[in-house]
Amino acid sequence: MPDLSWLFHLASLFPLEGMDMRFMQQALVALCLLAPMTAALGVQVIHYRMAFFSDAVGHSAFAGVAIGLVLGVHPHISMPVFGLAVGLCIMFLQRFSALPPDTVIGVVFSAVVASGLAVVSRDNTLARDLQQFLYGDILTLTETDICWLLALFAAFVLFQALAFNRLLYAGTSRVIAKAHRVPAALCEYLFAALLALVVMFSVWSVGVLLVTALLIVPGAAARSLARSAGGMFWWAIAVGLLSAVTGLALSVQPWMHTAAGATIILVACGCFLLSVIAASLRSEIR
Amino acid sequence: MEADNAPAIVFDHVSVTCGGLNILDEVCAVVPRGSWTVLIGPNGAGKTTLLLALLGEMPCRGRILVGGGRGLRLGYVPQKLAVDKGMPFTVTEFLSMGVQRRPLWLGVSRAARDQAAALLDMVHAPHLMKRRVGTLSGGEMQRVLLALALQQKPELLILDEPSAGVDLEGGRLFCELLEDLRQSQGFTQIMVSHDLGMAAHHATNVICLKRRVIAQGSPQEVLTVPVLQTLFGMHMGLICSENHVHHAGVQACAAETEETPHA
Repeated sequence: MPDLSWLFHLASLFPLEGMDMRFMQQALVALCLLAPMTAALGVQVIHYRMAFFSDAVGHSAFAGVAIGLVLGVHPHISMPVFGLAVGLCIMFLQRFSALPPDTVIGVVFSAVVASGLAVVSRDNTLARDLQQFLYGDILTLTETDICWLLALFAAFVLFQALAFNRLLYAGTSRVIAKAHRVPAALCEYLFAALLALVVMFSVWSVGVLLVTALLIVPGAAARSLARSAGGMFWWAIAVGLLSAVTGLALSVQPWMHTAAGATIILVACGCFLLSVIAASLRSEIR
Repeated sequence: MEADNAPAIVFDHVSVTCGGLNILDEVCAVVPRGSWTVLIGPNGAGKTTLLLALLGEMPCRGRILVGGGRGLRLGYVPQKLAVDKGMPFTVTEFLSMGVQRRPLWLGVSRAARDQAAALLDMVHAPHLMKRRVGTLSGGEMQRVLLALALQQKPELLILDEPSAGVDLEGGRLFCELLEDLRQSQGFTQIMVSHDLGMAAHHATNVICLKRRVIAQGSPQEVLTVPVLQTLFGMHMGLICSENHVHHAGVQACAAETEETPHA
């Protein structure tokens, strides 16, 4: 495993009470890796109208963990593998079935949630383990998780550098993209796989209930603030990072003492509100 | 060499069935290379389905031979594009996403910007460069979509009712623009249209479709009363003298009912 102490040392310099503790340093590093990924992918999720897709993959975490626990596989392995399979399965069915895309997602969504509940209902002790996946806890991420997150971040940067323009093309019109020889299918499958993995990591930090918000809210704020698609990418990352760091800082204050995930989303929603006000002021000035 | 002289498209007994319904039934038609071919027919005749089959978006039986089997570079202009109106996506980015290797989040390169400007000049819409795609009107969107298709340097340009939702003058100007571009760039063009006047005025080849091919050939051969009656199921005639077609423009060549006295 690579030595990440320099990264944690860097995090310890952040002017926040409690940053001398390793779990806080790990949480900050994890958020600084996760927030740009969710925010930037959120831009594409909005362009593709795939919010429901990320919700379905997020909810598959529940079944992934439950099945992993029953089979004796560590949840940190069973969950991303199951999520990846669900994401690719939805993408495949959307491309090759005559059903509308949201119906396909709805069916898969129901199937994965029901599978999770069915497994848990057989063994009540599992319910206790599953609770943290409902609410998430960024403070429980381990050093190994952060190594995986770093690898995922590298894949994300590579993907965004190579496929951003093509995804924009395919998201605008799949038929035009195909006629104009853009390899849309490959980009879409890779995007679905990357999104599924990022969603699974997000579930650990903010929980199943808030995972879609982590993707959508920074992108929605950026949509109001940006003047171009390229600008929207950077605005989303800025809002995502600001919300993550501010949310973490606020959540550990004695006068707040709230769950980090929920606080991050609340800050992001505050940013969204400000972006809407800024956009309406800008249009009034014009 | 043989493939170079082959027709641009050969539809060879093409049939499409959807939900037990025969949408296209043994369609056999030829689109000559360099032609402006217009597909006409009533609603539900299968015109758009034939284009979708040509694009590989609709499974079909039979054979569609493009460029003598070698394939042709395609440009496609859909009837409309569902774009999120509030999405900050500029026309410059729209015309750069297919040609620029560098991701657009690092900005639009000088070369891509210059190419976008040249394409917009070509479709007589240089003023749209900085506009958002979602705020374009129907006519403006058609020009931007045409610019995107022209970026492919198409050998075959496919258009699905490009003048739908555009006013008469806008439709006329768009057709004249297409005529100039086809002449200068030498591509073959196939389009779906409900505008018989446009077909009579601009097309070099007309395919009349009503699930199967009713007639095909030059507008003079095809746009006749019996064919139009078969197609549209009513008494249709076409006022279309040769002088009018060449000198008086689209308005002189319009479909009318037989109750109207012929010129």
